[in-house]
Amino acid sequence: MILDNAESRFEDMFYSAVMLNTEVTYKTLCDLKDNMAIKDYRDLHDRELLKAIAKGEFKLRNDTVLRIKKLLETFGNLENIVEKYIQIAQANNIGVVSVLDKFYPYNWRALSGMPQVFYCRGDYSLIDSMTLKGSVAVVGSRSPSKYAQYATDQICKELGEKAVTIVSGMAYGIDRQAHLSSVNTKGGTIAILAGGVDNIYPPKNKDIYDLISRNGLIISEMPPGQQPLRQYFPSRNRLIAGLTDCTVVMEAGTVSGTLHTASFAANQGKEVFVLPNNIYYENAKGGLKLLEDGGNVLLGAENVIDSVARSVMYKRLALGCPAELNYYDDKEDFEGQNDIDAIRVLAKVKPEVISDDQWKLLIQDALSLKSLCVDELCVITMLPFYKVSKLLTELELNGTVCQEKGKYSLTFV
Amino acid sequence: MASKPNVARVFSCFATGTEVIDTVIEVAIAPGIPTFSVIGLCDSSIREAQGRLISAFKSTGFNMPKGHITIGISPAYMRKTGTGFDLPMALGILFASGQLYLPKDAKIYAEGELALNGEVKATPGSCIRLKSVQRNLELDYKLIPQNESSSAGVVGFKGQAVSSLSELTDIFDGNNYKEASFDFETERSQDDFIDISALKGQEKTKRALLISAAGFHNIMLLGSPGSGKTMCGKILAGILPRLSPNELADVYSMNELVEGESSVIKDERPVRLVGPAVTVGKLLGNAVSITPGELALANHGILFADELPLYKSEVLDFLRGPLEERKVHLMKKGNLYSFDSNFIFLGTGNPCKCGLLYESGSKCRCTESEKLRYLSKISGPFMERIDIVSEMRSVKGEDLASIYIDKDNGESLEYRKNVERCWQIAHERYGADHLNGTFPESDIRDSMRVTQTALRFASELSEKGFFSARGFTRILRVARTIADINGKEDVTADEISEAAQFRMRGI
Repeated sequence: MILDNAESRFEDMFYSAVMLNTEVTYKTLCDLKDNMAIKDYRDLHDRELLKAIAKGEFKLRNDTVLRIKKLLETFGNLENIVEKYIQIAQANNIGVVSVLDKFYPYNWRALSGMPQVFYCRGDYSLIDSMTLKGSVAVVGSRSPSKYAQYATDQICKELGEKAVTIVSGMAYGIDRQAHLSSVNTKGGTIAILAGGVDNIYPPKNKDIYDLISRNGLIISEMPPGQQPLRQYFPSRNRLIAGLTDCTVVMEAGTVSGTLHTASFAANQGKEVFVLPNNIYYENAKGGLKLLEDGGNVLLGAENVIDSVARSVMYKRLALGCPAELNYYDDKEDFEGQNDIDAIRVLAKVKPEVISDDQWKLLIQDALSLKSLCVDELCVITMLPFYKVSKLLTELELNGTVCQEKGKYSLTFV
Repeated sequence: MASKPNVARVFSCFATGTEVIDTVIEVAIAPGIPTFSVIGLCDSSIREAQGRLISAFKSTGFNMPKGHITIGISPAYMRKTGTGFDLPMALGILFASGQLYLPKDAKIYAEGELALNGEVKATPGSCIRLKSVQRNLELDYKLIPQNESSSAGVVGFKGQAVSSLSELTDIFDGNNYKEASFDFETERSQDDFIDISALKGQEKTKRALLISAAGFHNIMLLGSPGSGKTMCGKILAGILPRLSPNELADVYSMNELVEGESSVIKDERPVRLVGPAVTVGKLLGNAVSITPGELALANHGILFADELPLYKSEVLDFLRGPLEERKVHLMKKGNLYSFDSNFIFLGTGNPCKCGLLYESGSKCRCTESEKLRYLSKISGPFMERIDIVSEMRSVKGEDLASIYIDKDNGESLEYRKNVERCWQIAHERYGADHLNGTFPESDIRDSMRVTQTALRFASELSEKGFFSARGFTRILRVARTIADINGKEDVTADEISEAAQFRMRGI
């Protein structure tokens, strides 16, 4: 998937510049939108409209008008800043995605207060496969114990093999391990940075930054060139929790950003798993406290997979048929789905050439949406019962599908 | 010195249950003060014949002879009952007293009850008796009541029907005995079953019914209320082949025992519907009068047990025997009477207490423990005897509309042709009386032609917990039927994997 040229995203970047450099806040924006002054944030770049607002042609709160006035004063200056953003973006191959785009992450869209515009570098198709196949935030201490590091490695690998995407913050310790263990798996890895996408922080992690920008995806809500300031980190943690289907805390001290991520996840109604640890180990007390507060005990990747499978199922139901999910113009990027599409089309036109294995793929595809009974599978595949039942027995035998309450479902989505 | 009594001998028979005992009725008339005694462990229905005989003789112009009349019915050690000995007794008396001419060395068979005006009437069990007589005895004269002629027709009995005692003069004195076979009228079935196309969108159940019919496999349908389970009884009857003449005789003889001569002769397979209130007694039959119960009446047809999980456990436990053996036994005074009960057992039931377990969307309101308890009433050993289990769901509105619009029986008739073909294949394999589901258990694997790969595949499935070791042979049987349907010589892994989908699974 190729994102638009950064130049054509001037308004989106202008918005970022406004939010970062003026007193206009999210609240101001809401006031403007609620009172029909602007349609969406892109209108902030409409100088004439802003002048009208400043004159008081709309019924708005006083401070809103005041802030818009100040914005108008710095308007030219902001445009210069955006030009700078564009330069950096083009030099570093950075893409811009906004909430108005169809391919904005599904999980973020479902939450309020997520960035209207964000920047990314790397393989953007990960966002979509993440929506369909699930994602897990893996977070933890910057100086973890051997045990937590080992567990991170094992669990990230296992989840990655099940096509679950691992999301973390590219910090030292657990974050680093999580990215390293998942970057070459089926699920892939996503790093969310506190500063601009081009800003490698911590600098010593340049090796994994390069690895992720080639094989994974790097995301930031901050415009290119922005330094990672201390106050940006909690917001970044909130984005990590928001982007994923559940959060796994590997190790956390009593004062830790990891705990922020966990509480954001809990507030967003997502499950939090905590790796149980030694009670005499000071650096694990925060995590243990989370367990005391009702976190799920992480006993293995299976727990996480179950949780992810559930939320993926709901997402898919909400999104409708998986075929419709495939909204790229550029189909080459999404090979797996594309394959299924080809088989599905072929099955309708020339069912006799479809091999048993391809039928099995079709059955699995149908079951990935929700569990179905044999009769429904017969209708979907347009195959006679004896054929479907034979395929199902074989799928059951190799553990791909299981039967429950008279219906078949995938053992894991 | 007393004079030698005149003795006449007439053959007859009586039936207890399905067992027919040939009897000889000997009448001896000796001079003396008139007496009338019947000997040979006869009950009062036979001893009362004196009254009927006297009146019938008078009405038709004969006389009850004066003298000692002794009637012996042998074998004398067996208890006998029934009024069918009236006609042979009358014949014996008439021959012994010289009122009718007894052809020399003629063997005469007769049965029938006499009315006071000399009319000859049918007695229950005629089908069974006539079948046995036709098969076992060499006779010169065979006389049966006029209204037993349809029974006689069904079993292929040859003889002459009499409607009154007065006709006997013509037969014996006029030497006018005409042996003929009897015609019977079958009520041609109208094919008014429900067509299998009514099961829209329930491919598994359609296939399950086809396999069940093709191999005479016991089948269980689990589904929500209104999913069409009850309808499946009629659908299954529709895809089974018509009764063969032999089977027709078996079915009719059972009906005749219960309903008498009035029962209609149909070449459709019987469907006996029983509900949760059924008792062991009703299934088994009456042990006093030795009349068949539901199991025997369902012979060659379908025993349709509705709402099976609601049955009393004693009934379910009892059913295990007949399902395995395909026979019912009644015990009366130390004698064992057996009826054939070779039927397809079609059980239906809800999958859980509220019945909605299989519905889409989680509509089921049962708790986990309720779910587990509900079907566990049907014991494992019972389920072992059910070869095919299929789940059913309620059909959506638009499909319902189309069910009632097309009243075409085409699809069921197609299915029936398929079933008939499978039966033929099975009969060539096992002999005329058996199908894949009913062939008695004993080294069945050779005749089934299961390939080595298929056997290995089946044991792999068994190890993975798809079915128990006991379910193994049932799977092979079902797979054999599927291979017959598919027109295959050998049972391959394909058939095994399809058969595995029909085993009962956990909730």
